[in-house]
Amino acid sequence: MPAVTDIVKLQNVSRYFGGITALKDVDFSCRAGSVHGILGENGAGKSTLIKILSGVLPPSEGQVLVDDKPVQYQSPSQAAKDGIVCIFQELSLIPDLSVAENIFIDHPPRRFGLIDASAQRRMAEKVLARIKCEDVDPDARVRDLSLSRRQMVEIAKAISKDLRVLILDEATSALTSKDVETVYGLLEELTANNVASLFISHRMQEVEALCDRLSVFRNGSHIQSFDKGDLTEGEIVRLMIGRDIEAQYPPKPPKAEVHQPALSITDLRWEQSLKGVDLSVGQGEIVGLGGLDGQGQKELLLALFGVLKGVKGEVRLGDMPFIPTSPAACKSAALALVPEDRKTEGLMLSLSIADNLLLPNYKAVSRGALIDTNRAAQEVDAAIAKLQIKTASPDISVETLSGGNQQKVVIAKWLALNPDVILLNDPTRGIDVGTKQEIYSLIRNLASSGKGVLLYSTDYAELIGCCDRVSVMYDGRVVNELSDDQLTEQALVAAALNIQSKGVA
Amino acid sequence: MNTLLSFTPENRPIAIAAAFTLMIILIGTAYTLTTQGTAPMLTPSYLLQQLQIGSFLGLCAAGMMMVILLGHIDLSLPWTLTAAAMMATSVGGPWAIPAGLSVGLIVGLINGFGVSYLRIPSMIFTLGVDSVLRGLMIAHTGGFAPQTEASPLMRYLAADRIMGLPVAVFVWAAVSILITVVLTRTGFGKSIYATGAKESAAYLSGIRTRWVITGAFIASSMCAASAGILLAGYSAKAYQGMGAPFLLPAIAAVVLGGTHILGGRGRYLGTLVGVILIVFLNSVLSIMQMPEAFRQIIYGIVIVGMLLVYGRENKTRL
Repeated sequence: MPAVTDIVKLQNVSRYFGGITALKDVDFSCRAGSVHGILGENGAGKSTLIKILSGVLPPSEGQVLVDDKPVQYQSPSQAAKDGIVCIFQELSLIPDLSVAENIFIDHPPRRFGLIDASAQRRMAEKVLARIKCEDVDPDARVRDLSLSRRQMVEIAKAISKDLRVLILDEATSALTSKDVETVYGLLEELTANNVASLFISHRMQEVEALCDRLSVFRNGSHIQSFDKGDLTEGEIVRLMIGRDIEAQYPPKPPKAEVHQPALSITDLRWEQSLKGVDLSVGQGEIVGLGGLDGQGQKELLLALFGVLKGVKGEVRLGDMPFIPTSPAACKSAALALVPEDRKTEGLMLSLSIADNLLLPNYKAVSRGALIDTNRAAQEVDAAIAKLQIKTASPDISVETLSGGNQQKVVIAKWLALNPDVILLNDPTRGIDVGTKQEIYSLIRNLASSGKGVLLYSTDYAELIGCCDRVSVMYDGRVVNELSDDQLTEQALVAAALNIQSKGVA
Repeated sequence: MNTLLSFTPENRPIAIAAAFTLMIILIGTAYTLTTQGTAPMLTPSYLLQQLQIGSFLGLCAAGMMMVILLGHIDLSLPWTLTAAAMMATSVGGPWAIPAGLSVGLIVGLINGFGVSYLRIPSMIFTLGVDSVLRGLMIAHTGGFAPQTEASPLMRYLAADRIMGLPVAVFVWAAVSILITVVLTRTGFGKSIYATGAKESAAYLSGIRTRWVITGAFIASSMCAASAGILLAGYSAKAYQGMGAPFLLPAIAAVVLGGTHILGGRGRYLGTLVGVILIVFLNSVLSIMQMPEAFRQIIYGIVIVGMLLVYGRENKTRL
């Protein structure tokens, strides 16, 4: 064993975005010659931590120490000079350049001041051979490679530098199992060379197998670091959750014997994202969609709303088979979607509140071809009153409203159509607690009036507080369904990580 | 609802353009008073003649506004106009006008299909359609000015007068009222604004955005075709290149009238004011007997300069 030395240290580091605290007073260190796993829920501060370590973001407060010397990186390339390299989740390759050009994009070999293309190609071949990717042609354009090959090129790019700390952010999620093996081997080799690896993954098994030290983050705080084997899986999951439930939820009604189906989905498939989803929502029921980010929840909602092309499988609305071909068709079939990003998908920010509210409803307020201005004004006033949208006038532009009130406009525009099924994509994201509560009781009232609600949320507490049932998605499938007493944070987290809930309790 | 005179950001460019139009007329009058001692620009006959000339540009701009509100553009205007005029005179008789309008309908359908379904940028697609139309018309006429003549109805609509007012102005007024009603009082018009403001959000609100885009392009081409039919009636026949002088002024009139070039914002009143501004600007420059070279330079500077003024105002709103 090499001597235990800390390469990188964070001291009292905090990071704020506007009024939001992403990292709070974090002390963290990472040893040479180790693989260090970082665990935490969505929004626990993992990504911010990595961005600070790799020089993408400066800390708002506190210090970063490399080899016990304080550093202030202005850019990732400065961090790379000290040997700190990050492989990001979002691929950082330039599709129209060749593999070799991408690998050496920030440190190309030069001759007489010009890039030495043949040397670059030779060096690229060497690096690719090191990660067993001899099949990748250094002259191929990155655009033409498959996703897993691209990810390997990304890794090649990182290890082509003089490495001391390698950060892998979900770097294995796109890889084939053979490549994953290669990466494991590479990590071992790096560890033997006294390189520190920071490993972030939502796959518990992977973290268990690879890492020799683990750190748990929650709500922007560093909760605990420990060596592998010190804690059981169950204890780790408990560390990841343990947070206060802030919002108040409306009481759930007693469970009905049998719900009339409002929406049922059988074996829904779409490209690589949906791999056979089975799900049903009853009338008067709020069904939650849980799981980690990016397990196909968003795609499922978009597929149901007719946005995605080439969706296979069966969808039934009530008793009728339904093929979602376009949002307009869904609107006619009394299906509504509150989309993920209210600023680009939900609202036309430059238009007035009235125009936004009326957009799906012109048929209802028109007499013949012309809009009946009185009826339109009544409709707008009714919607504003019903959702208590706080505004001086319906004619001012919707971008002047607060986030919560903007979201209310998005919801209100659909309610006038009286939809039978409402799909909600993270409707309370970035909204203050008070408005959240209003939206929760609104959702509950909708369900009580016999509508079916499918709610995707990244906030587990919200799923537990709001939903009658939660279907947890993992890798494009519904892997578990929790209701009643089973619906706990522990069970949700365990199901989201696709580990058996028995092992956790 | 916005009243006509409320000074909202939407109305500010309209007010500026109107003030600038008045200024142009005053400058022109001052010029004629000092050089000739008369004020022909303030006589009714001069003003009516300007309206007559303005009606062709007015129709082109009305259609162009529909596509610019979507954030698109219709560069096929010159040869849509010419093709409609040539087809109308070729067919002649009672079917002259329907023939010309159906050229507009077909071109609009093709443009709309290319932009909304094939997703080709409108700037490229309509330019291509313009070139195709030009080729077709040259093949049709053999490259010479067609010998056919406008039908009596076309001449009546373009050059005759009712109660001393040019009939063409009534046509322009009717189209203007129609477009105003469509834009402010129908779901289709509101959908144009919504699609122009944020196409993805409009689509996710259940708007059939492809139909909306196609509809707007049809409106644009039909307006261009109407202008072509009237212009052929005015000059008694169709001729090569009759549409070319209308493209830039039509776009300029829409944009000077305060319609956002990226879509989503704009009032038809502004386009009307923009058309009048451009017509008077041209007219004053010709009264001053400005050489052609300087006329082009001043014309361009005015358009760019006014947009700079608007741009500043927009910046403070962001």
